[in-house]
Amino acid sequence: MSREKQRRPPPSRVRTGSRALLTVVLLAATTACGALAERRDDALATVTVFEQALRTGQKEPLCAALAPVTREELEQSARASCEQAIEDEEVPAAGAVRHLDVYGDQARAVLDHDTLFLAHFPGGWKVTAAGCRPRSEQPYQCTVKGR
Amino acid sequence: MNRTAGAQEDTAPGRTGRLRRFVHDNGLALAFGAAFVLAVAGQAAAGRAEFNSLLITDGLAPVDLPAYLTSSDFAVDVTENWQSEFLQFFLYIFVTVWLVQRGSPESKQTGKAGPESDREQLVGEHARDDSPRWAAAPGWRRAVYSHSLGLVMGVIFLLCWFSQSVTGTAAYNEQQLRQLEAPVAWSEYLLRAEFWSRTLQNWQSELLAVAAMAVFSIYLRQRGSPESKPVGAAHAATGVEG
Repeated sequence: MSREKQRRPPPSRVRTGSRALLTVVLLAATTACGALAERRDDALATVTVFEQALRTGQKEPLCAALAPVTREELEQSARASCEQAIEDEEVPAAGAVRHLDVYGDQARAVLDHDTLFLAHFPGGWKVTAAGCRPRSEQPYQCTVKGR
Repeated sequence: MNRTAGAQEDTAPGRTGRLRRFVHDNGLALAFGAAFVLAVAGQAAAGRAEFNSLLITDGLAPVDLPAYLTSSDFAVDVTENWQSEFLQFFLYIFVTVWLVQRGSPESKQTGKAGPESDREQLVGEHARDDSPRWAAAPGWRRAVYSHSLGLVMGVIFLLCWFSQSVTGTAAYNEQQLRQLEAPVAWSEYLLRAEFWSRTLQNWQSELLAVAAMAVFSIYLRQRGSPESKPVGAAHAATGVEG
């Protein structure tokens, strides 16, 4: 075997650069996918807490799951505390989650008998609107919502 | 020790000289690269402020800079501008092969429309010793290299436009959900006014700039610029750069 055959050519700078770029792209894509899956799980967890509180009639966790602006709107329009006001609202216990959309800090959960909208806050996902019915060519009509 | 210090003294001016030369020889790329970074930083700061203002109005939590930099809102604003810039250069590179503008330094001479001969283009047997290797190579390599500038610009344009459509869908849907509206699929977003408004408002400005440059440069001059004819060149002189 000749010396030339034994000696392997050093990898070119272009090839090394391409591999590094590919690694960075794959790493970024994997991280992004992982982060998105985590966000979906977190949003789903908030929906579960909200629905469980609705089913069992527990007002405190129900109000805690609402976004600040939604809770404020509810209290102002009812002129009562959230725990009292939420009792008068017709928010149905909605069953299982059929579909979940997450885009950035916003999400929509379509359940068997209701649709919820959520937003991400520093403390986690909160429900911005509940008791929502779709309308043709218009925003959903929601029983409980923020501004 | 003295010898080491002496060696440092010998090499330091050499390094400084090489650096100065590098900066001088690459001034255009370095200046525009630095300006690009500053402009993107400014866009990120202003875009985040505007985005947060919308979120606060809706009673939602504002985002920090890293979150904004990885948001679809920032990505779509960046890519919609990138695609139009690369489209502009792609079109300009390809269209100027065939179309001419009498009197413009941006145009070839009026009788030279078309891909020109191998002798004029220094390819194949007419390639010189210092020509790129693929200019002399036969077959597909010469064909690809002969169109490589336009092809790369075209591919980057398509990638950026595709990226605009994907990030645009995400940004549009985030806005839809904020307004308690249903999100749309990517294929549906491509038919929405938002996608075409973002696209065409960028295209029209790029096309206007190219048309203005082609015409203005017939009659106006910038002394010392290769983008202009020499100050004293006739208005009718075509394909002459200063």
